[in-house]
Amino acid sequence: MSTQAKLAKQCVANILAAIEQAEDELARLDAFAGDGDHGAGMVRGMRAAHEAAQTAEGDLAGPVIAAAGTAFTNAAGGASGALFGMFIATVGQSLNAAPDTENVCRAVEAGVNVVCKLGKTKVGDKTMIDTLMPFVRALEEAAQQGLTPVEAWSYALPAAKSGMEATADMVSGRGRSSRLGERSRGGLDPGAVSAYYMLRAVADTLNTP
Amino acid sequence: MTRLFNDPTQFKEEMIGGFTLAYSRYLRRVPDAAGVMALGAPQPGKVAVLIGGGSGHYPVFAGYVGKGMADVAVIGDVFTSPSGEQIYRCTKAVDGGAGVLYTYGNYSGDVLNFGMAEMRCQNEGIDVRTVTVTDDVASAEDVEDRRGIAGDFFMIKTAGASAARGDSLDDVEALTRRANDRTRSFGIAFGGCTLPGQSEPLFTVDPGKMELGLGLHGEPGIKSADMASASEIARMMVDIVLADAPADAGHKVAVLLNGLGSTKYEELFVLYKDIHAQLEASGLALHNPLVGEFAGSLNMAGCSLSLLWLDDELQALYDAPASTPAFTHL
Repeated sequence: MSTQAKLAKQCVANILAAIEQAEDELARLDAFAGDGDHGAGMVRGMRAAHEAAQTAEGDLAGPVIAAAGTAFTNAAGGASGALFGMFIATVGQSLNAAPDTENVCRAVEAGVNVVCKLGKTKVGDKTMIDTLMPFVRALEEAAQQGLTPVEAWSYALPAAKSGMEATADMVSGRGRSSRLGERSRGGLDPGAVSAYYMLRAVADTLNTP
Repeated sequence: MTRLFNDPTQFKEEMIGGFTLAYSRYLRRVPDAAGVMALGAPQPGKVAVLIGGGSGHYPVFAGYVGKGMADVAVIGDVFTSPSGEQIYRCTKAVDGGAGVLYTYGNYSGDVLNFGMAEMRCQNEGIDVRTVTVTDDVASAEDVEDRRGIAGDFFMIKTAGASAARGDSLDDVEALTRRANDRTRSFGIAFGGCTLPGQSEPLFTVDPGKMELGLGLHGEPGIKSADMASASEIARMMVDIVLADAPADAGHKVAVLLNGLGSTKYEELFVLYKDIHAQLEASGLALHNPLVGEFAGSLNMAGCSLSLLWLDDELQALYDAPASTPAFTHL
């Protein structure tokens, strides 16, 4: 097995482990303004994603990630299932055979754009986009500075974390929690937290020798 | 709380298993999909009616699959929209060549997943139309932003009866949309619900209080109020629903008083006594009222009142025969 596909499978496995570990925390965050099932849905989706990734064939990372995303969407259900699954699938479909930092950045951006379009959401709506969009912008900076994909991912991670943390003080603009208006302020958005844990698990994988 | 389960992650699957065993005289499992379809579906040349959403709300949605109502229900996990893939498979299973009408509650997860399935089916040449249910007056000012609660029942009944008598997809869609435009609901909660496998309720209502405008999913309500007598609650519910009455809709209404789970039939009848009198005193003519559990939320305590302002055509559809696990009208 090539290093590229193997690395992608390891990333998916580590994301699953991170999400499983965070399941209760995600459920609690979701119960604040939603219905408390975000943790369970993410675990259901990632288990299916992991299974699909492990059985995906070929040497390239892109198809492995795309298969994981499609399986996530089919298994998870709910808004977050559709959005996270489409995000992952689109990133996978957008990766080149030999991804450089610029291509990684464009692939993540393509995933973000699909989420924005499908979810009719934008930065500041208290969603996963508040983690992902600053991450993409930081990846762009890293690409301009000539960092490698692995360096760039680590470089951009703090921007994702800041974006996630900023959701605590936001009023929900999309989804079920948006019905609450001001009452949705004060808690982190569970989708933003999930997105950060995913990005962090990938960073950890890439930085493991 | 929800006490009866094995592995909580298998709750939906095991529920479908028992449901299809018990009601095989009405329906069967959709092959390779999380859904149930009416015996006899697909029926060539007949518009198919597809409903669905998260489980935890029985009789919504699976209970209304059968003759004269829905052809198929897509079943998601508890309080979670089914995925687009499952909806797509269920659509393919019931399409009889005359098109498929989707009707489901207006929630972001459902809109996203049903929307993805609709697009995919359209690309494959299956004519799919959608009427999202937006009956809950407490959920938003603009009607199109409102979520669907027990008024789902009226739309499923209308769509199913229209399709059963052989109407075209255009007509089934238009009539279902008209029913939605003329339906208003309002709900209150006295206590929260607990998901399978969880020890704490999703939310709580303070003792001596009630939550006004609470949805089927346990989202916190828009306002808390002191607990009141049944008569006072009846007056409040009727006032709020009638304040939002559709314009020029006439004076004949179908009435549905719905229990959410642990508010039971006899309490509902006590409440209904005053609701009936109040509605009549407002000059409305009540047509075939329904009191019972029509759209639940696990073990949540509370109830909702739904009115459908009828015209002659909607009344004919409402009175048409139906035979399903949860609703039979001969």
